[in-house]
Amino acid sequence: MQRMFMRRTGLALLLMLAATALTFWLVTAAPGNVAALIAERAAGAGADGAMIQKIADDLGLNDPLPVRYVRWLGDALTGDFGVSIRTGKPMAEEFSARIPMTLTLLAGGGVLALTLSLVMGIAGAASNGGVVDRALHGMALVGASTPNFFVAALLVIVFSVWLGWVPTFGVSGFTSWLMPWFTIALFPASVLARVVRVNLQDTMSRPFATTGFAKGLTRRAVLLREALPNIAIPYMTTFGAQFTLMIIGAIVVERVFGLAGVGSFFIEAIRFRDFIGMQAILTLFVVFFVSVNLFVDLLAMLADPRLRRPRKA
Amino acid sequence: MTAPIYEVEGLVIDLYTPTVSVRAVDGAGFHVAPGETLAIVGESGSGKTVMTLGPLGLLPEGVAVDLRGTARADGKDILAMSPSDLSRLRGGFFGVIFQDPMSALNPMLKIGPQLAEQARRYAGLSAEAARKEAVSLLARSGIPDPEDRYGRYPHELSGGMLQRAMIALALAARPRVLIADEPTTALDATVQAQILALIRQIQKEDGIAVILITHDIGAVSVLADRVAVLYAGQVAEEGSAVDVLTAPVHPYTRGLLASVPDFRSDNASGTKEIPGIPPNQARLEPGCRFVDRCDRAIPACRSRRPRLQAVAKGTVPHRVACPVVIAAEGIVTHD
Ligand SMILES: Nc1ncnc2c1ncn2[C@@H]1O[C@H](COP(=O)(O)OP(=O)(O)O)[C@@H](O)[C@H]1O
Ligand SMILES: [Mg+2]
Repeated sequence: MQRMFMRRTGLALLLMLAATALTFWLVTAAPGNVAALIAERAAGAGADGAMIQKIADDLGLNDPLPVRYVRWLGDALTGDFGVSIRTGKPMAEEFSARIPMTLTLLAGGGVLALTLSLVMGIAGAASNGGVVDRALHGMALVGASTPNFFVAALLVIVFSVWLGWVPTFGVSGFTSWLMPWFTIALFPASVLARVVRVNLQDTMSRPFATTGFAKGLTRRAVLLREALPNIAIPYMTTFGAQFTLMIIGAIVVERVFGLAGVGSFFIEAIRFRDFIGMQAILTLFVVFFVSVNLFVDLLAMLADPRLRRPRKA
Repeated sequence: MTAPIYEVEGLVIDLYTPTVSVRAVDGAGFHVAPGETLAIVGESGSGKTVMTLGPLGLLPEGVAVDLRGTARADGKDILAMSPSDLSRLRGGFFGVIFQDPMSALNPMLKIGPQLAEQARRYAGLSAEAARKEAVSLLARSGIPDPEDRYGRYPHELSGGMLQRAMIALALAARPRVLIADEPTTALDATVQAQILALIRQIQKEDGIAVILITHDIGAVSVLADRVAVLYAGQVAEEGSAVDVLTAPVHPYTRGLLASVPDFRSDNASGTKEIPGIPPNQARLEPGCRFVDRCDRAIPACRSRRPRLQAVAKGTVPHRVACPVVIAAEGIVTHD
């Protein structure tokens, strides 16, 4: 167990290194000259070759790529992600302003996805082929195949334009979060609801479920007390994957609902070819991806007694 | 003879999956009295499990079931019970031991607390008393260091220990009928004998009714008072263990016993398998189910379904569903 823990953590760190190196290379290799961009921002049309050359030298842009990566990594580890070319502010400052917004979006969406998927999956399994089961299956199919910008547009039209319940744009208070949360949670909730439903059904046909019935439990009790704990591993692993994917959803959702988070910053960074901003945000994404998956894997291991307490030979 | 405590008659169970429908049980029945051990024998797929557990609602998940006939527990009609009454009956009146303890115990649940919960719900014990009861049941089932095993998960115990835990779980509610569905098939040979001895000991001490479903003719001869031989969802022969094992009449029973090595001394020289395979239960023929594999079959067997006839009087009737052998060997019938 302890060794497994160490190995997973080590692997996660390696993965982060490899992924940031890859993004660093990709971002640097993208067309566009950082020094020229900065010079242009500073001096407008008056930027000349000498100025560009000086900026490139100052930033060390002419050094070999590995040297630049190591330097960047050293800075990043101390919390220095450079200065955004677009906004002219340090990325660390942008982060502290924008990360809370994105985290609120992801956390609310994650909780909603967990709740919806468990309720839908369990209700489906309880109904077992009945009307509720089929209706929920249909809903999950629709939920998993509707693009989030479409969901967002639909919500805005119904709840903001027609009913006037929530503002179209920006967030102020709990209710204004509901539409972004729902938009970002719909896809993962639909996928997870199927995971719950299918795995519960499979578990209900295992011999220990029959033992549960033989113990005198009702179907509902067998479902909740005997079968549900057994789907913890596939459920948590899928949740981890879906939750990390929500960061991609956040890019769209933040833009549609006008949330000043890291997702909308990323789009702007791409449009303005803000390489430093792009690299900083991509690093954030990598750290999020890897650490969420690590956390979920470890949690799943803790949930299963066979992994938590391996049998001594 | 004591009145039966679990009694099934004229049971017909049809199972429907999306691809096939089979008549798993076709007019079979059995009964067992307190203090008695009934063995149900027959090949795999002959309907032993479905016949015994089906009336309790313990049927394969995801299979549509049509069940007819009568089934009584302590005189009460099981088939007319509400789902919640039936659940309570399953939990309290019956105790069930399954074939493979490795898969029959929930890997996510500790063993002891499950026993304690049964004792609390069905034997009406307090939480504290139920815990004590659970530990003493584990001890009684032959599990060493029961205090420690109480908090263990299934994967931390060996197969033999798990089957002992399963037995303890089945007993925790203090059932009146213990059903053991091939309790030793999945276990090592040395452990098998221990588990059978444990079941026999419990049966002796508690005087409960035991239904032992098994392939193991040796186990039948040691444990059973009565035997029912099932073939393709029908009872071919039933009677006291002595009668059925030493004076089998039905060609299937004879074949089954002849296929057991060293069971009867006159057969020690060699064993012989019954040729052929059981019939396709998806296609129902009108005659005897065994006809295609039977060395005594006559043309009439194909059109006439044999009924059980008593071939010996006595406290335990010996009944056989084969008019051909009965007639050919001049066996006197009593009904
Ligand atoms: N899960 C299932 N799905 C479909 N048919 C089944 C299932 N379980 C049992 N059956 C059918 O019921 C018959 C009797 O099965 P069973 O009672 O388990 O036999 P036994 O216990 O004697 O080995 C089998 O021949 C099989 O055709
Ligand atoms: Mg069986």
